[in-house]
Amino acid sequence: MRSAIETFGLTKRYGAITAVADLSLRVEPGQVFGFLGPNGAGKSTTIRMLLGLQRPTRGHATLLGLDAAAGSVEIHRCIGYLPGDLELFPRLTGRQHIAWFARARGDVDDALVRQLIERFQVVADRPVRELSKGNRQKVGLVLAFMHRPELLVLDEPTSGLDPLMQHEFADLLRETADQGRTVFLSSHELDEVQRVADRIGIIKQGRLVAEDTVDGLRRAAPRKMEVLFRRPVDPAALSMVTGVSVTACDGPQVTLEVTGEIAAALKAIADHDPVDLICRPADLDELFLGFYRESADAEVSHAG
Amino acid sequence: MLADITRLELTLRRRSTIGYAAGMALYTLAVVVLYPSFKNSTSLDSLSGSTAAALFGVTESLTSPGGWLNGNIYGNFFPLIMLLLTIGYGAATVAGQDEDGTLALLIALPLPRRAILVQKAAAMALQALLLAAAVTIAVFIGRAFALTISPGNAIAISAALALMGLDFGLMTMATGAATRRRGTALAVGVSLAAVSYLLSSLAQTISWIRPGRYLSLFYWSVGDDQISKGVGAGDFAVLIAVGLCALWAAADAFRRADLN
Repeated sequence: MRSAIETFGLTKRYGAITAVADLSLRVEPGQVFGFLGPNGAGKSTTIRMLLGLQRPTRGHATLLGLDAAAGSVEIHRCIGYLPGDLELFPRLTGRQHIAWFARARGDVDDALVRQLIERFQVVADRPVRELSKGNRQKVGLVLAFMHRPELLVLDEPTSGLDPLMQHEFADLLRETADQGRTVFLSSHELDEVQRVADRIGIIKQGRLVAEDTVDGLRRAAPRKMEVLFRRPVDPAALSMVTGVSVTACDGPQVTLEVTGEIAAALKAIADHDPVDLICRPADLDELFLGFYRESADAEVSHAG
Repeated sequence: MLADITRLELTLRRRSTIGYAAGMALYTLAVVVLYPSFKNSTSLDSLSGSTAAALFGVTESLTSPGGWLNGNIYGNFFPLIMLLLTIGYGAATVAGQDEDGTLALLIALPLPRRAILVQKAAAMALQALLLAAAVTIAVFIGRAFALTISPGNAIAISAALALMGLDFGLMTMATGAATRRRGTALAVGVSLAAVSYLLSSLAQTISWIRPGRYLSLFYWSVGDDQISKGVGAGDFAVLIAVGLCALWAAADAFRRADLN
């Protein structure tokens, strides 16, 4: 089956800076794909390459079976796009934006437009320069969805939306996917993506570092184990086990982070005469925050 | 029927376009209404012929109808306002919209970039045309104030100045598409126009600059006494050819540009 999005070693460099490096991923039709990463990780650059706004330095991408660069006009006909940091024309009202883009596209269903305006409670008749970020974002969402696109590419779509509207947006995504249409959305918020996405790709410093279903990622996420031993243990003996790291050690009380299968960790613990063990469920937050921290550390050390 | 992007651009710039045209029409009317008071003032004629007068676009007798219009409108103020409009628009419509983020939604429409750029250029042409029409109509009203110049020449010189404005506006647009910087585009557009103006006006009195006048678009539109001789087919051909080259350069730079 033709994939909705496929990238092959997509790379973008700006001089000495590599914004996206060798990115290969595949998004199937009918999927909601969450593209997750800290600010500056390369999410928007990837999206701009998918849209044909920017040319890759190396590699290529296909959307709906068409080459992103060569087939951009045909691709644009079939996709809805919400840019990150959406900017609209300040003097025009939301309704004027919607009317103009509907006319320029020519394939927009008025009933759907009315329904979207109502659903997102769009403030349609004031110039957008007078609107809050959230209200401008709602206009952007109507523009992205109003022509029933086969594929939606949404860059930080819930930015500025209140919780009620975020909920409404999540419902709309689900309905869109149920109709067999595809959604590719970027975000730096795990909660948002976890709630709506079938699959998640995590990008860090331009590289795809993980890509799986939410359940798959959860299985790979570190579990926290708190172990009480009969007597103090040498933490080094535990941390040398594959997939195990010691995060705290206070005499006989040791806290471990275990990634992957736990058999090896349990064997090592058993060797040291354990008295009690508490294992907390896999925490996706920890996995993701781990990526955040490493990026932040890298930025600090780079700046230093 | 206007193409969608042309219509949008004109809507976005409606106020400034009308403002430029109305302001220029009022200025032109003031100049034509004042003509009867100055047409017998022989002292004015002593101004022409000097390098200082040439710098301000005054190249012939100020008391003749053609000289009065050239010295007050066609040789200086009208091209200045025309260039403000076209260079300002040329810098704003590609590099400016890319910088402020509004271009992304237009690029995501199912239109080739070339079509988007041509529609923006058409919006520039219509703005320039409106300004030229406003001046021409005001000049025609001058016939009631003894300001009799050939209607054909008045229309042709306004058209030539609109074309010259378009040429510089398109060069600015091309620079904006190539650099994605509004400031750089403005600087290049304004510098090219300034050099062009100086070449044409100083060539009248400084002999070593004289051969350089052919490089000036001012020379091909207003600097070769077109007010009395009329705008020749060669003048129009140069102005149109430069415009087409600038349009091609802008479209090519826009096609290759990495946009936000």
